[in-house]
Amino acid sequence: MKNVRIWFKKDLECRYISHLDLNRTMLRALHKSRIPIWHTEGFNPHPFATFPLPLSLGFRGINECMDVKLEDDNYSFKEIIPKLNACLPMGIRVFDVTEVIMKAGKVAYASFTIRISEASTPSSAICADLRKLFSKDTIEVEKKSKRGMKTVDIKQGIKSFEIKEMLDCAVLEIVLSAGSSDNVNPNLIITALEAETGLEYELDITRNDLYNSEMELFR
Amino acid sequence: MVSKEVERLLLKVQKPGRYVGGELNEVIKNKKDIDVRFAFCFPDTYEVGMSHLGMKILYSLLNSVDYIWCERVFAPWIDMEELMVKNNIPLYALESGDSVADFDFIGFTLQYELSYTNMLNMLKLSGIPIKSSDRTEMKNIVVAGGPNTCNPEPIADFVDIFFIGEGEEVDLEVIELFRECRSQGCDKAEFLRRAAQIEGVYVPSLYDVNYNDDGTIKSFVPKENAPAVIHKRIMKNMDESYYPDKFVVPMIEIVHDRVVQEMFRGCIRGCRFCQAGFIYRPVREKSVDTIDGQSHLLCETTGYDEVSLSSLSSSDYTKIVPLLERLNSWAKEEKVSLSLPSLRVDGFSDDIMNRIKTVRKSGLTFAPEAGSQRMRDVINKNVRQDELIETCSTAFSGGWTTVKLYFMIGLPTETMDDVADIAHLGQAVVDAYYQTPNRAKGKSVKVTLSTSSFVPKPFTPFQWEPQDTIPTLHEKQQHLKESITTKKINYNYHDADTSFVEAVFARGDRKLCKAMELACERGFHFDGWGDCFSLEKWLEVFRDSGIDPAFYANRRRSFDEILPWDHIDCGVTKSFLIKECQKAYQNTTTPHCRLNCSGCGAAKYGEGVCFEKRQNMV
Repeated sequence: MKNVRIWFKKDLECRYISHLDLNRTMLRALHKSRIPIWHTEGFNPHPFATFPLPLSLGFRGINECMDVKLEDDNYSFKEIIPKLNACLPMGIRVFDVTEVIMKAGKVAYASFTIRISEASTPSSAICADLRKLFSKDTIEVEKKSKRGMKTVDIKQGIKSFEIKEMLDCAVLEIVLSAGSSDNVNPNLIITALEAETGLEYELDITRNDLYNSEMELFR
Repeated sequence: MVSKEVERLLLKVQKPGRYVGGELNEVIKNKKDIDVRFAFCFPDTYEVGMSHLGMKILYSLLNSVDYIWCERVFAPWIDMEELMVKNNIPLYALESGDSVADFDFIGFTLQYELSYTNMLNMLKLSGIPIKSSDRTEMKNIVVAGGPNTCNPEPIADFVDIFFIGEGEEVDLEVIELFRECRSQGCDKAEFLRRAAQIEGVYVPSLYDVNYNDDGTIKSFVPKENAPAVIHKRIMKNMDESYYPDKFVVPMIEIVHDRVVQEMFRGCIRGCRFCQAGFIYRPVREKSVDTIDGQSHLLCETTGYDEVSLSSLSSSDYTKIVPLLERLNSWAKEEKVSLSLPSLRVDGFSDDIMNRIKTVRKSGLTFAPEAGSQRMRDVINKNVRQDELIETCSTAFSGGWTTVKLYFMIGLPTETMDDVADIAHLGQAVVDAYYQTPNRAKGKSVKVTLSTSSFVPKPFTPFQWEPQDTIPTLHEKQQHLKESITTKKINYNYHDADTSFVEAVFARGDRKLCKAMELACERGFHFDGWGDCFSLEKWLEVFRDSGIDPAFYANRRRSFDEILPWDHIDCGVTKSFLIKECQKAYQNTTTPHCRLNCSGCGAAKYGEGVCFEKRQNMV
């Protein structure tokens, strides 16, 4: 048995499916591909796959990963790529298969590119509003939790950021806390911005890379 | 494919995956190579429509022709519809993202009467005139098929062409004729006149209906050489008939998310309330080889790990045990499970149980349909209480602890005692559990009784019957509730209000088109969904369009009345239906097709069960 990490992009139409739907789509593709994946041994055996960090509905993901167990230790990694792609919708493309170097729980940060626009606001104004937002000591937003709404400060979850002014939008490159404990969803940044300005923005969010707590690329 | 404009809306709606397409196995063609574009519209949500087998068959069939590109369209849920209207985005097809108004054909499948408003609403959302007479060009030809077309009259003003019966051949013939007519420069009227000559095609605009003073039909007159009777089409040889080698595999969860494999069409039983049991006659089976090959291939091309064997009554497949054995020969190894819906009470044998037990142990569902033996004889259900008890005992000793039983209330000749007998039957099942020695230890039994309200349908022996009024149905529901004395029985019932409106449209005539039009104007949609249906609003629509709904739902017709669907031939003769109706009044049953031929008329197709060797024949 061998643990492998399958790397893929999630874009186009597939941006609009939830994590649960992605999971189902992947399991079906694994089943269809006949790649010798280890199956669960319960009453309804199904291929076993885990995702180190789920991606929110609507985001593009260019370096997403999924962990599976290969039953055949000598199965070629290279063969997995075309086999799986033939079984997936075009919006999900596998581009690499690697050994599992870091455990899934090591994910601590994620980087995002967020394109922000609003019909009647010039990008320069959006950039200025963003700068103003990040200059505050605390950025408090309402967050839905299992026990109702609560207020959280997301400022400490911002590792680094960069604001770029483009012709048709403001681009925010940002690294945020990620993982099971201190995850900050980039949508919360926009919620905070909207609370400040009273505007409603058009968004295009891409998740780029995952990192561990030392800011090393997650592998 | 989705446009930029649509993408802007997607994050504001529930389940945006409904509106994007892009699934595995969707068919994309180059528009330059295409002559005829066909928008296949399902008048309900993506999850419901994508579960429908007929759509899968016709989608693949049409796309197997080089010059046709068939795309899918579903009704946007109310949140998306609101945003689309607000942002002036017309209804579009999932594959190309092109507006429905760009298509040559706009085809609807009509599975239930309460989806009619969705059909009109989808035309409206496409910016296409809903009335056939307002669409004069050789484009946007609105066609419709499916079981509801056996009484097409309530929507006759909106649809250019109805396909009567099974669509696999007639669809292609009409599309080919359209292509020819367009190249010859014919106008739409000429195309429709010529289409009406194809068997199985009904062009409602080529007929005049005259009424008597009491509102019943006086005469039905064909014009321009259109046939006086429209005969349904059927596929005669199921082994040779087209079946898809691929299904589009949805990324979001749909209602039936699995391979659906058809075993046979039609039903031998002839339950007197059941429209499907008559309009799909005669029974035509696929061979074990065909079913095995088709379902195995579909598993391979989709990646699904479950096959559902589809038919009106699974255990009536003549070679069900050999079939399950054959499928299990690969299914187990490939980790594919089998499911067998629509099992009859008398068809659940140890043999079958042991072969589907490898599948998840979901609850068992049976449909005795009525509580008393007399009532079951009236409807020709041909299931006895001891058979049900025996079947449940088999299931209980096999480890099952929940049973769901479906019934109807409001059946012809039903008394309050018949209704109470539904509760008694439930009690007998509970008792059977405790009398089963090897039942699951330490577990309690749960029996769910579920009732729907009987809706008389065209082409059944009950097509002349009045439907119980809503207050009577409520009384019966209450009576049944009070007749249940144990907490091990759960009772739930289907809302009587929707059944009433369903009954109006099921046996409606062309006068109802006015009501449909008004309903569309007032923004009716998703009437099959509790969220949207309002009886009050429907009653207003009927009042404002001068319609008395009771005339359609609650009136007893006489056998010699001209019925709105009398010009449609579904294969079963009217005299047979009358005979069956009279037998119902005498509590007399009719044997099923394999025991004895009752001469329904379907033998004229020269195929199927009518020509099988019967066991009792020497």
